Amino acid sequence: MPEDKKAFWIFKFGKWKKELNLSGLKETAKKSFENESDSYKQKLVYDLLEATKNKDQNRFFYLLLKAINKPKERNFKELWKKLDQNYDILPQEVFVNFAYSIIIGIMSTYNKGQQKE
Amino acid sequence: MLKDSNKSNLGFTGNWFIDAGILGFVNLMEEVYGWNLNKIINYNFRKEEFYRAYFTYYIKKTSLNWLKNQELKKDIDNDIKKEFYEVRKKLIDEIETLIFPSDKKDPESIRIGIIHLNNEIKNKIFQKFEKFSSCLKKVFSNNKKTILQKINEIGILSYEPFFHNLNFINPGKNKKGAEENILKSFEDMIFRYKIKDELTKNAIDKTISKFLFSEKEFLNISYCKIPTINDLDKIIKNVIFYLLCFPISFVRISDRNIFFYTNNLEASYTINKKIKLLIERLREKNINVNLLKITWSAIVDYIVESKASFSLENMYLVEYGSIQQQEIKNVEYIGIPKLQASVLLDDYLREILNTSLQIQGKNFRGEKNCWLLEEFIKGKPLYPLALQHVKLKLTGDLQQINYSIFYALLIDAVILEFKERQKQKETFSLFSESFFQANYREILKKVKMEFRKLYYHSLSETKRLIPDDDTRKRLGYLLLDSLYGNDKARFLNILLKSVNSSKENINPEFLDLIFEKIVNNDKIWQRHTLFLIAGMVSKN
Repeated sequence: MPEDKKAFWIFKFGKWKKELNLSGLKETAKKSFENESDSYKQKLVYDLLEATKNKDQNRFFYLLLKAINKPKERNFKELWKKLDQNYDILPQEVFVNFAYSIIIGIMSTYNKGQQKE
Repeated sequence: MLKDSNKSNLGFTGNWFIDAGILGFVNLMEEVYGWNLNKIINYNFRKEEFYRAYFTYYIKKTSLNWLKNQELKKDIDNDIKKEFYEVRKKLIDEIETLIFPSDKKDPESIRIGIIHLNNEIKNKIFQKFEKFSSCLKKVFSNNKKTILQKINEIGILSYEPFFHNLNFINPGKNKKGAEENILKSFEDMIFRYKIKDELTKNAIDKTISKFLFSEKEFLNISYCKIPTINDLDKIIKNVIFYLLCFPISFVRISDRNIFFYTNNLEASYTINKKIKLLIERLREKNINVNLLKITWSAIVDYIVESKASFSLENMYLVEYGSIQQQEIKNVEYIGIPKLQASVLLDDYLREILNTSLQIQGKNFRGEKNCWLLEEFIKGKPLYPLALQHVKLKLTGDLQQINYSIFYALLIDAVILEFKERQKQKETFSLFSESFFQANYREILKKVKMEFRKLYYHSLSETKRLIPDDDTRKRLGYLLLDSLYGNDKARFLNILLKSVNSSKENINPEFLDLIFEKIVNNDKIWQRHTLFLIAGMVSKN
């Protein structure tokens, strides 16, 4: 993706300005969940959507962290890093964009033809 | 640019009032001498030629108008009626083809010629209509006179409500037997610039134009000289011609007088002519005249024909109503911004937008449709119209969604994006780099490119993922509802949930599109969202 097309989300906290790269977040989520089974991801996405709908940041991060709490699987390392960099109590608008970037990233890995049990 | 001083090049001056007169003058010369615009612009007119043309035009116009207005009384035999209409038609043809009786070019001979022409027409009407005199309805002078009584009273057959204050056309003075005096006072005016007898004799005031004060009413008259024809003549040669031709530039529709003005003679001439033509065509078909629509289509035609990529920014539609009120009724400014003009020049996009879009339900009593192109040229956003249109589809008021709204939404989105970008770039100076580099062509390319991708996904992909028509319609409702509430989060939630529960494979490109156009776009996400909904609920 060309540089100017990359999605950024800028938010300010006090004097601090932080840039959130939505596109990068989406891509990382995509890579992390590639090897998971579809039915698992479908359930997870449903739960994440519910949490986002209720604007419940606690629940969203609880679900997400629980899902990636697998130290043995290397795939998640990058996502941990991203969350470590970006996790914060986000303003509502920023949170919505943050959440949907991750959800769409996960959904992009669905491949129902080859389901893994 | 230096001009050849011997050549008179007629052109607009920048003052709309004089310019209207110049256009009227062109119309007059075209009508009487049958010359084209180019020849009129380059020809050096003599005052005598104007004198002759002016009266030939008005005498013919007035007599023809009166003939056309003359009706028969109610209870008249059909045979007589038939005969009357035949006679009238023949008479109209005869008068139209009459030519000026003299070729001499001195004022004296022209005066004699005008009186001769005037009497000839009067006599013809008398001869032909005399046998119907008892059947004629009184339609003139507040329904008190027939045409025969009217022409028996009047001196020179010329009627122009705009110039009632001028003595040569004043109904009080223009009486039978006074023909020569009337023409002499006209000669005084064009050869010696004497407009009236009192105060400043050549003052430009209410006598010459209804839109000005009368000399006595000018508040600053005691310490400021009123402008005169002599003053103006030093700036614009033969300005009296143009002042006298002012009403000829207007097109008359029932009680309204309309004139389209832009600061270019050729454009004004072409567009006004087209407006006149379109109005006549509609009248023949007995269709109600929507003036703005006609004007727009005339302007669009002109832009397309002349491939004018410049912006037509100084455009006005001037209207004055019934002359008793003696005021300009309505002046509407219409302008086509450069951005819109560039879209208009693209044949494909123009044709797509050139459509009538239904935006009101079946039970709405007024105008249900709107003309998309007109709204676009006016610079209005097309999104609200598209939103109304899609809503009608969901409520069952509409059979099929108009294909044009897909393009309309994208054009809207791309233009908005473009403006946003320009705004960001131009925070520091007006003539920044972006001012010179604004590439409008790029917009058209982008619209077409985006369309292919979005149209495919919103139509085919949504139908593949959610095959059931009713489910899709229900979903459409919910999504549209969130769009009305301007709630992006809710929209995404509903859409992703239903896609997530689909049994079909999800095309990652579709998800990328949602991400790129909706999640990561806080300025124009509504346009793309509506595009998606419209595609979802429309038939293949």
